[in-house]
Amino acid sequence: MPRGNELIRSSQRFEKNIARLQALAADAILIGTFGLMIEFLVVVFSCRRGPTGLLITSEEALGVLHYAWMAAGAVILAFAWNLFASWIGASPGRALIRGVPEWEREIDWTHTLRGWFTVLFIEMTFFSGWLITEVDLPSFFTKFSKASNIVHGLVHPSGAVLHQGLVLLVQTVFLAFMATAFAIPPAFALSFAAARNLTRSNRFSRLMYTAVRTGMNFTRAVEPLVWALIFISWVGIGPFAGVLALWVHSIAALTKLYSESVESIDPGPVEAITATGAGTLQILRYGVVPQIIPPYLSFTIYRWDINVRMSTIIGFVGGGGIGYILKPRVDLGEWGQVGTLVLLIAVTVWLMDLISAKIRERIV
Amino acid sequence: MSEGLAIRIEGLGKVFDGRIRALSGIDLEVREREFLVVLGLSGSGKSTLLRCINRLIDPTEGRIWIFGEEITAAKGAQLRRLRRQIAMIFQQFNIVRRHSAVTNVLSGTLGRASLLPSLFLKFPQSEQERAVAALERVGLGGRERHRADTLSGGQQQRVAIARALLQEPKLILADEPVASLDPALRHSVMRHIEALNKDEGLTVVCSLHDVDLVRRYATRVVALRDGHLVWQGRPHDLNRDTYKEIYGTEAEPATNATI
Ligand SMILES: Nc1ncnc2c1ncn2[C@@H]1O[C@H](COP(=O)(O)OP(=O)(O)O)[C@@H](O)[C@H]1O
Ligand SMILES: [Mg+2]
Repeated sequence: MPRGNELIRSSQRFEKNIARLQALAADAILIGTFGLMIEFLVVVFSCRRGPTGLLITSEEALGVLHYAWMAAGAVILAFAWNLFASWIGASPGRALIRGVPEWEREIDWTHTLRGWFTVLFIEMTFFSGWLITEVDLPSFFTKFSKASNIVHGLVHPSGAVLHQGLVLLVQTVFLAFMATAFAIPPAFALSFAAARNLTRSNRFSRLMYTAVRTGMNFTRAVEPLVWALIFISWVGIGPFAGVLALWVHSIAALTKLYSESVESIDPGPVEAITATGAGTLQILRYGVVPQIIPPYLSFTIYRWDINVRMSTIIGFVGGGGIGYILKPRVDLGEWGQVGTLVLLIAVTVWLMDLISAKIRERIV
Repeated sequence: MSEGLAIRIEGLGKVFDGRIRALSGIDLEVREREFLVVLGLSGSGKSTLLRCINRLIDPTEGRIWIFGEEITAAKGAQLRRLRRQIAMIFQQFNIVRRHSAVTNVLSGTLGRASLLPSLFLKFPQSEQERAVAALERVGLGGRERHRADTLSGGQQQRVAIARALLQEPKLILADEPVASLDPALRHSVMRHIEALNKDEGLTVVCSLHDVDLVRRYATRVVALRDGHLVWQGRPHDLNRDTYKEIYGTEAEPATNATI
C-alpha cells in the first residue's frame, strides 16, 4: 500500500518537526529566563541599600528588565545551541522534550554545557526567588510581639459569638451542601461530553469536547471569590449568593473530576454493549454509568468538604455563612471572638474531612 | 455446501493513528454455519480483524459484507441493525461488573429493546423469562440475581455467552474466549460456543491460541501474521511446518505431542 506508507512517513516527519520546535521553544524559554535572572541580580546588586538589602523594591527591579531584548537574544541563542549541538552537546530543551541523546548519556554533568547550565539555572532560581519575594529573616525573628495579641486572642476564645457562630456554621454546611447537590446534574451531563474516550467518533463530538473543556477550565480558573462578587451584585448579599458562587465553581470542578473518571473506565463493557447494536444512550447507561458511580460519589463528597472550606472565605465578602461575621471582627480587632470563629471553622473542616474520608473509603 | 456467505471481506486493511499497520490486504469469505478459527501470535491482528467485522473498529481500507449487506458502508440505524445480527464474546468477558447476571444477559437485547424502559434497566416479561432460561442453559440457573463480579471467570464468560444468546444473532465473533480462563475450564466454555454453532446453526468466527482446541472445534482455520493472511486450511492440516509458517521459525508448538 504505497498510499499508507507515504502517510506513515509524512506523519512521522511531521511529529519529529513538532518535537524539534518544542525543544527550540523550551530552550528559548530557559535561556531567556536565565538571562532575565542574571539581569535582575545585576540591577539589584548595582544599587544595594535599604532595609531588605535592596535600594529599589523587587517589583521596581523587575519592572526595569529588558524583556524584549532578552527574548530576542534567547531565541537566537536557542537556535545557535540547537544548530551547533554536535559540537557543544545537546541543549536542555532537546533533552527535556526528546530525551538526552544516547551518546551523551555516559558523560558526567560537569563535562557538558547543558549540565553547567542546569546547575547554574537552579541556583539562580533560588537566589532570585529569595530577592524577588523579599525574604526578610530579621523581621521574622525579631518582630513577633506585634502579632502576639492576635495569637493571644486566638488561644483565648471569647464566648460572646459562640451562639451566633454555631448558627451560622449550620448555614455554612447547608450552603456548601446545596451548592454541591445542585452541581451534580449539570456536571454529570457535561462529564460525558468532556471525556476524551467518548468524544473521538465524529467532528461534532470533538467540537463539543473542546467547547466544554475550554468553558469549564475558564470557569474553574475564576476564583469562587470572584464568582461570589458577581452573584452578590446579582442576587444581593447573603447565603444564596454564596450558594450560586460555589455552585458555578463546583460544576466546573466536578465536570473535570467526573470526566477524568470517565476517561479511566474499562473500555471493555462499552465495546460489548456497542456490539449488541445498542444506541448511544444505552451504551452510556450500561457501558459507562455503572463504572463511574463509585468515583462520582467519592468526588462529590470530597467536593462538599471543599465547599465547606470555601464558603468561609466567601462569607468574608458577603456570601453568607460563618465568614460573614468573621470579617467585621477582624476589622475591629476583636481577636477573642475571631479566635472562637476560627476554632469553630477548624473543627467543622476537620470533622468534614474525617467523615468524607470514611465514606469515600467505604465506597471505593 | 449449499449455504450462502455469512461474511465477505475484500482488501481489508487497518492503520491505527496513521502509522501503526495492523491489517493489510485481507480477503476472506466465511460461509454460514462455519466454525472458523483465526490463529496468530499476539499482535498479529486477530482482535483488529474481528472488530472490523462488526465495526467496533473502522477499517481504513477494504469492504466487508454481512449476509450480503455492506457493513463498511452502513451508518446509524442500519449499522446498529447489522450489529444486532453479530454477537461478540471477549477475552476479558466485558460484562458489567456491578449489574446482576440477569441484567447482563438482558443487555443482549438492547438492540431491539425500547429505549426509555431500557435506560431504567426494565425489560419485557418475555425477555426476562428468556434471560433466565439462557442462564439455565449455560449452567447458571439460580444465579440470576448474583452480582456479576461475584462470579468466577468461567461463570462470567458463560454469562457473556448467555448475553450473546439473547441477542439472537446469526453470527458470533469470539476473541480468544478462553484465553483468560483456567485450562480445565476451557472446554466448558468452548462447548457452549460449539452448541450455538451446531444446534442453533450460527456462524462462528473465533480466535484461539491452543492447537488442541483448534482441532477439537474448528471446521476451518485461517492464520494471521503481521496483519497478513498467511495460511488457510482444515484443522487436521495443521502440522509442525504450517505451525512454523504461522508463528515464525523460533516458535515451538505449546503442546508438542499433539502436533
Ligand atoms: N487501538 C489501537 N491503537 C493503536 N494500535 C493498535 C490498537 N489496537 C491494536 N493495535 C496494534 O495493532 C496490531 C494488532 O493488534 P491486535 O489486533 O490486538 O492483535 P492480536 O489480537 O492478534 O493480539 C498490534 O501491533 C497492536 O499494537
Ligand atoms: Mg487480541
